[in-house]
Amino acid sequence: MNTSEAKERLLLYRGPIDDADPQFEEALEHARRDPDLAEWMREQSRSYGTIRSKLREIEPPRDLAEKIIRERPIPFRRGWTQIIRKRPTSFRPSWTQMLQLAAAIVILAGITAVWLNFSQRGRHQLVQGQEIVVKRPPVQGQEIVVKGEVLDMTCYIAHNLSGPQHAECAKNCIRKGLPVGIKGEDGKTYLLVGKTQPVNAELADYAAKTVTIRGKETMRDGFAQLQVEEIRKF
Amino acid sequence: MSADQEFEKLVKLYYQDLYRFGFSLTRSEADACDLTQQTFYIWANKGHQLKDLGKVKGWLFTTLHREFLQMSRRQERFTDEPISEVAENLPHASADVVNRIDAQTMLGVLGQIDEDYRAPLVLYYSQDLSYKEIADVLEIPLGTVQSRIARAKIHLFQLLTQTNHRSHQST
Repeated sequence: MNTSEAKERLLLYRGPIDDADPQFEEALEHARRDPDLAEWMREQSRSYGTIRSKLREIEPPRDLAEKIIRERPIPFRRGWTQIIRKRPTSFRPSWTQMLQLAAAIVILAGITAVWLNFSQRGRHQLVQGQEIVVKRPPVQGQEIVVKGEVLDMTCYIAHNLSGPQHAECAKNCIRKGLPVGIKGEDGKTYLLVGKTQPVNAELADYAAKTVTIRGKETMRDGFAQLQVEEIRKF
Repeated sequence: MSADQEFEKLVKLYYQDLYRFGFSLTRSEADACDLTQQTFYIWANKGHQLKDLGKVKGWLFTTLHREFLQMSRRQERFTDEPISEVAENLPHASADVVNRIDAQTMLGVLGQIDEDYRAPLVLYYSQDLSYKEIADVLEIPLGTVQSRIARAKIHLFQLLTQTNHRSHQST
């Protein structure tokens, strides 16, 4: 075996873990006689140790072990298992869940609109022969400026997900048309709407980023909305 | 020890290593968590079928890798490639160079390596598994494992060297 062949072999050598592996024996023997090769091997070994320690710096979320243990299936005595929960709940918000939630938001908004319509009609009815009109709070509010993080409302409401770690998912969700919002620096959250059409396309790239939005604040049954006039990247 | 206690012990013993493997493959915390949890879920259902308890670690890693493949719907291609043609071009990536790179950058660099090569490389670096065990985990031939690790290692060193040059130039 020459130095080049030994090097080829030792490329895979990790140190003590591979000492018992016979495929390295001859190459290691060669390295004992060749100081340059020995030095090359030491450097390889140091690189291996450093890369290994870098990879082992990755830490799982704190609650992962507890969640696995909590959601495990319970075994029967004979070794069969009884699933007490259908499947472990996913850490990743699924599209089905998000679409269901988005659909729920749309349906609720629709029901609210219909209810308001009927409610207003009812209040126009005659009471003791006289028409009484009950004024509702103004639908069009005043112009305000909100600085805060652009949110994908579906993940935010369903899974409390926001921030840079969730940026990519938020971007995709917003781009696909799921509700978009902004969480102001004061903690107040607004659903962002356009004048005539959705503003998702304009806001998708700002997902999880801080922007300043000028628009008209409207409230519907306590639900804050902001009709976007202008978006400024902060 | 009750079955519950055994399960908990097993989770605590291996969940970190499995998570790291999953995270290195997917580069997503949520996906890595799902893969880890799914692996233990399958263990809870089918683990009793494993007769040799000394192979639990390999079984868990194999299961996680299978789930990952299923997740990414990738087709495996088994090809043995001679190491020698690439070994001569091994770039120099000293421990000092590697030391200057943080764990996140390292993951980013690993992410640039093809999935077929990344899995054996991550097991090579992060787990104390023999080449035979890595081959068993990934369910590919031993020769393929070794050639893939060698190629992936060379590619990794090239990427690390480039990353180091770039960060050096920007400072």
